[in-house]
Amino acid sequence: MLEPQFEPALAGRAEPANTYITLREISTRGMIDLRGHTSDRKFMAAAKEVLGVDLPKAPRTSHGFGDVKVLWLSPDQWLVICARDKAPELAAALSKALAGIHSLAVDVSDMRAILRLEGEGAREVMMKSTSLDFSDEDFAPGYVRRVRFAEIAALFNIVEDNVIDVYVFRSYAHYAMDFLTKAARKGSEVGLFKKG
Amino acid sequence: MLLVTCPVCNATGDETDFHFGGQAHVARPATANPEGITDEQQRDYLFARINPKGLHFERVRCDRGCGKWFHAARDTMTMEFKAFYGITELPPDDVIAQAKGGWAEYFAMRKKKQK
Repeated sequence: MLEPQFEPALAGRAEPANTYITLREISTRGMIDLRGHTSDRKFMAAAKEVLGVDLPKAPRTSHGFGDVKVLWLSPDQWLVICARDKAPELAAALSKALAGIHSLAVDVSDMRAILRLEGEGAREVMMKSTSLDFSDEDFAPGYVRRVRFAEIAALFNIVEDNVIDVYVFRSYAHYAMDFLTKAARKGSEVGLFKKG
Repeated sequence: MLLVTCPVCNATGDETDFHFGGQAHVARPATANPEGITDEQQRDYLFARINPKGLHFERVRCDRGCGKWFHAARDTMTMEFKAFYGITELPPDDVIAQAKGGWAEYFAMRKKKQK
């Protein structure tokens, strides 16, 4: 049997150089699009049973448990993040558990590319790319939001302080990386979040 | 830049994160009466819009956010948003009280129907 081959969206691309934060692609994550009604108790319970974690109900939040992370996308949509090779299994398990419930679980691992911004200036680079004010205390680890990022649709998740994952549609991966490399060019630091 | 707040996900964002959807509360005559609509009714439904100076009611989509449609009450002169409310809702009473002309008549009709 043929083993599935995963090709990262930025395969063969040179590492971004001369930037004041670290930029790299995360290609080991699988993604599952999960839809259903928050008000449907059966749906919420079945999803929790499979994922081991409650689906976040509060806007722009995420819940994690072990290897699985659930990002809130909209009142009836979540993005489940798991290990890449586990995604088809998990999507199948979700579909099975949700049979008969008005819902949807689809493996969309190849739909988006994940770019990770790491470093003291990560939030500053995000401020250059979006219209959001990252100095606001809302932007704490766990925060998720879909936003207009460098003119394209993107989704970002603050993983921990100074680590931000940006999810863009796969075909935009090179463009987003080009943009970030320019926005984070050495010498263009604003120093908004500099400590000390 | 206008700041818009989505009443569904409660996110405040720049107007470029949202999508404008035209005049609010336009009822489709064929929904209420599929058989007996006239050409005039259909014409008004498709093309006739009011263009008030002052308070106006519009549809907006949280385009780059949660993706849901909602309503906004905006002053066309000052560009100030008076209220954001759900897609199935009527504006808050204090905003309805400020409505003039066609909008005042419309909301009076809706309120009457509710009773």
